[in-house]
Amino acid sequence: MQRILLTMLIYLMTSQIVTKNCYSVEPDEFLQNPKKELRARNISKNVRCLVCQNQSIDESSAPLAKDLRILIRKKIGHGNSDEEIYNFLTERYGDFILLNPPFKIGTLFLWILPFVFVAIGIFVIFLHNDKSKKLDYNK
Amino acid sequence: MKKKILISPIIVFFLILFIFFYLLIIDRNPSELPSVLINKKVPAFEAKSLLENKTFVSPKEFKNETTIVNFFATWCKPCLDEHPYLKKLSNEKGLKIIGINYKDDSKRAIKWLEKLGNPYSNVLIDPNASLGIDWGLYGLPETFIVNSNGVIKYRLVGPITKKNYDAFVLKVTEVEK
Repeated sequence: MQRILLTMLIYLMTSQIVTKNCYSVEPDEFLQNPKKELRARNISKNVRCLVCQNQSIDESSAPLAKDLRILIRKKIGHGNSDEEIYNFLTERYGDFILLNPPFKIGTLFLWILPFVFVAIGIFVIFLHNDKSKKLDYNK
Repeated sequence: MKKKILISPIIVFFLILFIFFYLLIIDRNPSELPSVLINKKVPAFEAKSLLENKTFVSPKEFKNETTIVNFFATWCKPCLDEHPYLKKLSNEKGLKIIGINYKDDSKRAIKWLEKLGNPYSNVLIDPNASLGIDWGLYGLPETFIVNSNGVIKYRLVGPITKKNYDAFVLKVTEVEK
């Protein structure tokens, strides 16, 4: 039983490594200039595939992801900056297309709420500790 | 007082649970994305026409009347299901519909329209998905309602069906209000 579990665990761990290194960029998409290609890859890693929604366009094999990868490379070829490319995409698809949402009024809750919840959690733990201590003393 | 504070995380938890449960049971498509183009002018673009030797220039052609913009392709099965409803919109409601033939084979698209009927006042070709990206397209079919000022007022992701046809017609009448 232990062996089976161990094999399953190893399989799960290695499959993660394999899938993490899976990219969908096809050879015909590559730019000749390695620096520009690296820029395109970095941008693609930050852009969400809107068909799969939990993958970047760098990892996705969806046709729309391929179209966006080609578009990014075209824009880099035309001399557009990274910011211009991100702006172009968000103007058409919204901030949702970015895997890392920007910090602005619309996304304020998204960024602040986790910290608020952690603070509430810490506060509650302290309060509870305080209460238990008092109970201990009363004993 | 302390008791109230201690109970608050549980209340918040159940509140969040209730919101999740509500979103789960209401009739909605969780993967549907709201369009950022709503209430914005139509994108500026130039495109070739499928059936005529003309160039379509946007936003010049989106004036004076409500226009429906429908992205379709012959390889898209829901587009085939949607087609009778587009014909109904064109024939019965007299709406101007511009079709955008997305990443398709032009010859096949012409045959498709000859066979099924052509509800479009103009069909544009988008062989490399550039028009699709300009309109924030992420699936097929997608239909936009553009008002007489050239402003996008509504986007329908997925086909027009028997179920949503009346609601869609209502949206068309609402965009000019």
